[in-house]
Amino acid sequence: MQLQDKRRIAILSAYALALHGFESLLPTPIPWFKPGLANIITLVALILYGFRTALMVTLIRVVLASIFLGTFLGPAFILSAGGGIASVVAMGLTIKAFKNIFGAVGISLIGALFHNIAQLSLAYFLFIQRLEPVLIISPLILLIGALTGVVNGIISDILIKNLLKKDREKIQNTGV
Amino acid sequence: MKNYKLFLLLLFLCMLLSSCSSHKLSSYKKSKALLDTFVTITVVADSKDAADAAIDNAFDVIEKFGNLINFYSDSSELSAINRNAGIREVKVSPETLDIIEKAVYISEKSGGAFDPTIGPVIKLWDFLDKIKPTDAEIRKKLPLVNYKNIVIDRDKSTVLLKKKDMLLDLGGIAKGYAADLAVQALKQKGINAGLVAIAGDIKSFGLRPDKKPWVVGIKNPRQKNNDDEIIARINLSGTAISSSGDYERYFIINGQRFHHLLTPKTGHPANTCQSVTVIAEQGAMADAFSTALFILGPEKGLRLAKEIGLDAMIIDSKGSIHTTPGLEGILTIERNH
Amino acid sequence: MKETIKNTTVADRLLFLFLISISIAGIFISRDALSHNPDVVIEMDGKPAYTLPLYADRLLSVDGPYGDTLIEIKEGKVRVKEPHCPNQLCAKEGWISKGVIVCLPNKLVIIVGGSKKDQQPGLDAITG
Repeated sequence: MQLQDKRRIAILSAYALALHGFESLLPTPIPWFKPGLANIITLVALILYGFRTALMVTLIRVVLASIFLGTFLGPAFILSAGGGIASVVAMGLTIKAFKNIFGAVGISLIGALFHNIAQLSLAYFLFIQRLEPVLIISPLILLIGALTGVVNGIISDILIKNLLKKDREKIQNTGV
Repeated sequence: MKNYKLFLLLLFLCMLLSSCSSHKLSSYKKSKALLDTFVTITVVADSKDAADAAIDNAFDVIEKFGNLINFYSDSSELSAINRNAGIREVKVSPETLDIIEKAVYISEKSGGAFDPTIGPVIKLWDFLDKIKPTDAEIRKKLPLVNYKNIVIDRDKSTVLLKKKDMLLDLGGIAKGYAADLAVQALKQKGINAGLVAIAGDIKSFGLRPDKKPWVVGIKNPRQKNNDDEIIARINLSGTAISSSGDYERYFIINGQRFHHLLTPKTGHPANTCQSVTVIAEQGAMADAFSTALFILGPEKGLRLAKEIGLDAMIIDSKGSIHTTPGLEGILTIERNH
Repeated sequence: MKETIKNTTVADRLLFLFLISISIAGIFISRDALSHNPDVVIEMDGKPAYTLPLYADRLLSVDGPYGDTLIEIKEGKVRVKEPHCPNQLCAKEGWISKGVIVCLPNKLVIIVGGSKKDQQPGLDAITG
């Protein structure tokens, strides 16, 4: 791994961690409602720097955040890790398989969907073990996921465009 | 735009006013645990207070009656009769005397198909723990089962069970009889329409607030899912309805169903019907005759119903529905049957 | 931001519409399914004391004049497991998935599926 990669992962992880922490401070009107802001960083990392970087950023964010929040290896950590990994894998595969069909918003939606599917399955198999309550809350969670997924996708898209523009300017500046 | 808003406001006000236009008849419903079951009384009245007062009074009437004929309470008149079986006659109150007379009347009319002295044989069966008594055990108790051994002295208001260890159990008629008493009590309090449901023993009087008859569903004896709970619905205005079925208390061994409706002569469950519903003027009649007709079976049962002037719907052991002609126009069989 | 929305691909939009519609449909379906899950209402002394879901197994002990009554909810059915009353009629009722179990001595009533949403439309009462 190159030094630049490490630096990039460190910076992105810091951003993701900040967003994750910020989100955990937000008052949640409904217990399982979370906007998933950290997914913005994952998505940016995935599109700009590839799958490995995105996965590293996700893992670092999940582990460190749980240590800071005191939930390491607890139920919340398992759900968070499962959701994060499932989401980054699903998004990575989507980019690989359908390179130009989906934009950032579509990929973000896929990420949100698989994040929720993974969390609900984990919650069912590990903690709740009753199908009815899971089936009842699933559609609501998926709906909220679709909405936050779009918002996150749009933010990611803007971020990516700005970053690319800056890169281009940098190249132009150095070129002159 | 302004006019539109004004119109909406007016409409809203109209709705508010019309919703509290008073002295409109509506129905009020209350439930209470009585007679070891659940009693629901619906009345048509012009105020909740009037309805509440009448219903509470009817509950009291049922409760007092229940205390007289409670099989399980040592302080009831019925227990006194049972304790003194084969010993001496027991003086009882007019209601107790009346219900026992009615029970004996129905026993006679049904040729013993309904028999309130079946108690000693019923006790041998345990439908929860699936205990089926042996034929020898049943044979030993059968001599105790005979309504003819109930001696009623009207003038002295006494009842005697001739044989020791006989048991009089009014469970097969008491709920219907109590519904009659409750309706009487409601009428005395100035209520003109209502529905008294003591578990599945129901008596109606008058019409619903929408001027239509009361609608009672008849349970499907072989319910498979949530959608086929009701096999038929029937309109009632002033009549009583009761059902007896092999699905209430039963167990199944080797595909054979053993249920609580025993033929008094054999001590074994009657197996020619799945359910019998009887419509009669009196709740007591509907209650006891639904059992009697069940024991007699579809053919003899329908004949008896016609003879006495009752209406009945009998579902035989194959699931076919038989009815008396009197039900035409008031009975609707649900579409999936 | 406007530009971003304009730049979304057809697949993005279809995916969004698809997810929104299945989750909304799912909400209605699950609500419908939920309304078929009746509650168990336990009344003591004429007043509702507990409302429990029928499809969550549990044991519950309630107090009455004759002592505790142990109520068991299991696989969509309810029974009185251990009564402490003179006639024990409530336990003889066995398992019920709809209807009422009464323990008069303990002033206890267990109602399954008695709420309005579980009742048959257009009926004033049910016999049988």
